[in-house]
Amino acid sequence: MDPVISIRNVGKQFGAVRALNSVSFDVEAGELHAVMGENGAGKSTLMKILSGVIGDFEGELLLRGKSLHFASTRDAERAGISIIHQELNLVEQLSVAANVFLGRESRSWLGILNQREMDRRAAGLLAELDTNISPRALVGTLRVGDQQLVEIAKALSLQSDILIMDEPTSALTESEVARLYRVIDKLRARGVTILYISHKMDEVFRLADRITVLRDGQFVQTVNRIETTPRAIAHLMVGRDIEPRRKDQTASDSTVMLETRNLSLPWPGHSRGWRLQNVSLQLRRGEILGIAGLMGAGRTELLECLFGASELPPQGEILIEGQRRHFGHPSQAMQAGIAMVTEDRKRLGLFAHMSVRENITMCSLSDLATVGMIAHRREHAAAVSQIKSMSVKTDGPEARITTLSGGNQQKCIIGRCMLTNPKVLLLDDPTRGVDIGAKAELYLLMERLASEGMAIIVTSSELPELLTVSDRILVLSEGVLTGEFTRAEATEQRIMEAATKAQR
Amino acid sequence: MSSPHPSLVRRLCSTVEFKLILAWLAVVVATILLDPGHTYLKNPGAAAELIIRNTVLLGLFALGSAVIIISGGIDLSSGSMIAMSATVFGSLLVLVDPEGFKAGELSTLAICIATIGSLLSGAMVGTLHAWLITCVGLPPFIATLATLVGLRSFSRGLTQAVMQGKSQIDFPDAGLREIIKSVTNVSIVFVIAAIVIWLLMSRTVIGRHLHAMGGNEQAAKLSGIRTERLKWLAYVIGSVTASIVGIVYFADTGSAKPDTLARGYELNAIAASVIGGCSLQGGVGTIFGTVLGCLFLRTIIDAVNKIVGTGADVYEGMIVGIVVVMAVTFSQRGSSSARREFFGTTIGWAAIPVLSLLAGVSFMLFFRDKPWFTASYPFVFGVVVAAILIVRGVSEIRQKRVS
Repeated sequence: MDPVISIRNVGKQFGAVRALNSVSFDVEAGELHAVMGENGAGKSTLMKILSGVIGDFEGELLLRGKSLHFASTRDAERAGISIIHQELNLVEQLSVAANVFLGRESRSWLGILNQREMDRRAAGLLAELDTNISPRALVGTLRVGDQQLVEIAKALSLQSDILIMDEPTSALTESEVARLYRVIDKLRARGVTILYISHKMDEVFRLADRITVLRDGQFVQTVNRIETTPRAIAHLMVGRDIEPRRKDQTASDSTVMLETRNLSLPWPGHSRGWRLQNVSLQLRRGEILGIAGLMGAGRTELLECLFGASELPPQGEILIEGQRRHFGHPSQAMQAGIAMVTEDRKRLGLFAHMSVRENITMCSLSDLATVGMIAHRREHAAAVSQIKSMSVKTDGPEARITTLSGGNQQKCIIGRCMLTNPKVLLLDDPTRGVDIGAKAELYLLMERLASEGMAIIVTSSELPELLTVSDRILVLSEGVLTGEFTRAEATEQRIMEAATKAQR
Repeated sequence: MSSPHPSLVRRLCSTVEFKLILAWLAVVVATILLDPGHTYLKNPGAAAELIIRNTVLLGLFALGSAVIIISGGIDLSSGSMIAMSATVFGSLLVLVDPEGFKAGELSTLAICIATIGSLLSGAMVGTLHAWLITCVGLPPFIATLATLVGLRSFSRGLTQAVMQGKSQIDFPDAGLREIIKSVTNVSIVFVIAAIVIWLLMSRTVIGRHLHAMGGNEQAAKLSGIRTERLKWLAYVIGSVTASIVGIVYFADTGSAKPDTLARGYELNAIAASVIGGCSLQGGVGTIFGTVLGCLFLRTIIDAVNKIVGTGADVYEGMIVGIVVVMAVTFSQRGSSSARREFFGTTIGWAAIPVLSLLAGVSFMLFFRDKPWFTASYPFVFGVVVAAILIVRGVSEIRQKRVS
């Protein structure tokens, strides 16, 4: 039988970044085909091409043997391909039914919306998915897991026989994941072909028929699930055995640089009431402390509290070198010797309209100025020194920051932090959207800084990464610390158990 | 993409400022050629003085507008602020020195108090804006829309109260009036303000932080920048420059009539900033560009005045509108505007009759009193415009097919 989808030499370039390089593989009808790879491997780019989000790319797509070129998601939907994005694509202010039929509303002969008809059909679709979500509920009031089912119902309403799921479980609770598995089984029984993007081994090994591995935008291999092992796949994803890299002797001495006592962050209007609850931790000089947890566990919130950037003031105590401090604004935290690299680089870190130099010196301008006037030579020298010490690949300090690759942008932002001479460095998922080579460099950089006495807290969405860099790992689950592991004790298994520990 | 290290000359040539200077020269040359009265050749001094005067008056508060736009905000209230400043200035003169006001000879003390009071009112309005935006949490558009309407009404009330029911305050002191409205003096004030604000925006930490905040406010805050204080500064600069202009306008027109004075001028200031390269998304723009934007805008208005003749101030709004659209269209990054389809799409085709009709009718409006005018010309002109646009549309479709 012909493959449903044939991907032929597909490539895509984003500015300086080669996201995909001549990828070719086939997807058979009715199979669940997992696409695996680390962050930045090109999985999501490939799926965006398949679903028409990205219209211009190199190479060819064959759908049931016919060459196709989608200019928009509409084209793809018409051809029977729907995508469930990692970040859901719903209008939160509209009802479930309105979202399911958005752009394809049923109308009466006068062109007036036929609300009842849409509600009825949406309810039917949702019932097929074994849920009792009301078609009239506003999407914004639903939990993420339910919102995802609305997206799936939308795909069903389009009669899609190819469904792309981009890391569908990343924001789900365990019971929601189990429900999603049941839905997937139902879809497969209907003969739907599913392309399943993930970097989670257990999921893929439970669901997939075949697994395709991408690495650094390249196709590596397609294997049958029954013929392989998670270990072999991990090897394919990384391209080498994940070597235990750091000497196990910890450089950290006993000085406590940062401590929290019963740190809590209220969450008004939410049933849980707290984003963080009674978090107590200690961070020592020269130590790299990893914070693990699922999405929404409070990793980012914890770092924001420590940096004075939380929306509401946290309760409890923060001590810097034994002294109680209160930070109402990031500038106060910076004065106390804390620096933070934010999670969402584009939104919260970069000044995209500025040069590399301006981005690097942004936090330390007052040191580079005399009576408020920026001293250009000193500013230039400071920028150049950070470009060197972080080994940023750039055309020079005057290049626009957006011409740099993600990893190099991240190095600039770390350089920006370093210019403030911090004692504590907070890194919120610093390797997100960074390619593998640059990741390794960032790991080395963290180690170097730690060995120079910097105290570092790092979070990551990837457990192997935390296991690689951290001296100690704390695990958050729904805002509560549920585990602490030294490097010797930590395994993915134990961390996941702690991270999924139900509260209450 | 261009080479990573374009030469200095090429970098200069690609700036908005350079393009504006070229465009300005083109307008001047065109006016010299087309102006039936040949004013620029016969009487260059007077022509220059007129343009400088208008540029400087617009420029003074466009500077403030540019600072706000670069910092990521918008100020819709500067026209009303001008009216209010003039009113406050006049009212304080009446209240502090009623005898002098009647006699037409004001005491120095009264003038000082009125000036300080007027500038202070600007600072207070700026503070009010900053409070509404940072503490109350209103979008800048809404906050300054409220003061756009509110300040003018407040000024009318104030005028009636101070002038016992009259709706305007006449400028009392002829000697003082001459001093304030003199082009030289206003220009000096403008040049000083422009240099100070240029230094602030391009050389100081505060200026860099304003640019950063305009481009990415969240990132700026997380970089330890006190964004609320910067916003206060930006809005105070915006309102204080407008209040300076208010005093000058009061002297220039000879009376403060708050219901009409400087009505709609805020949009001219925003337009000048945008023409000068400021992005309404914030973060991008220069003070020099804004000054050139003012000069260009006033020159082109003057040119149309000269070419079309009397009553052309009616068309000022049309000119400003067209210039803003053109300036922003052509300053969009080369690649995106070259590939852009203006007329090849459904909406593009729908726009062609609109633009042609507009061109034809405008032709008739502009030139109906000229001796050479006949009724068929507007039709011919409209048809020619339509033909050009259709050709462009067809070629766009062809190009799309090819690629």
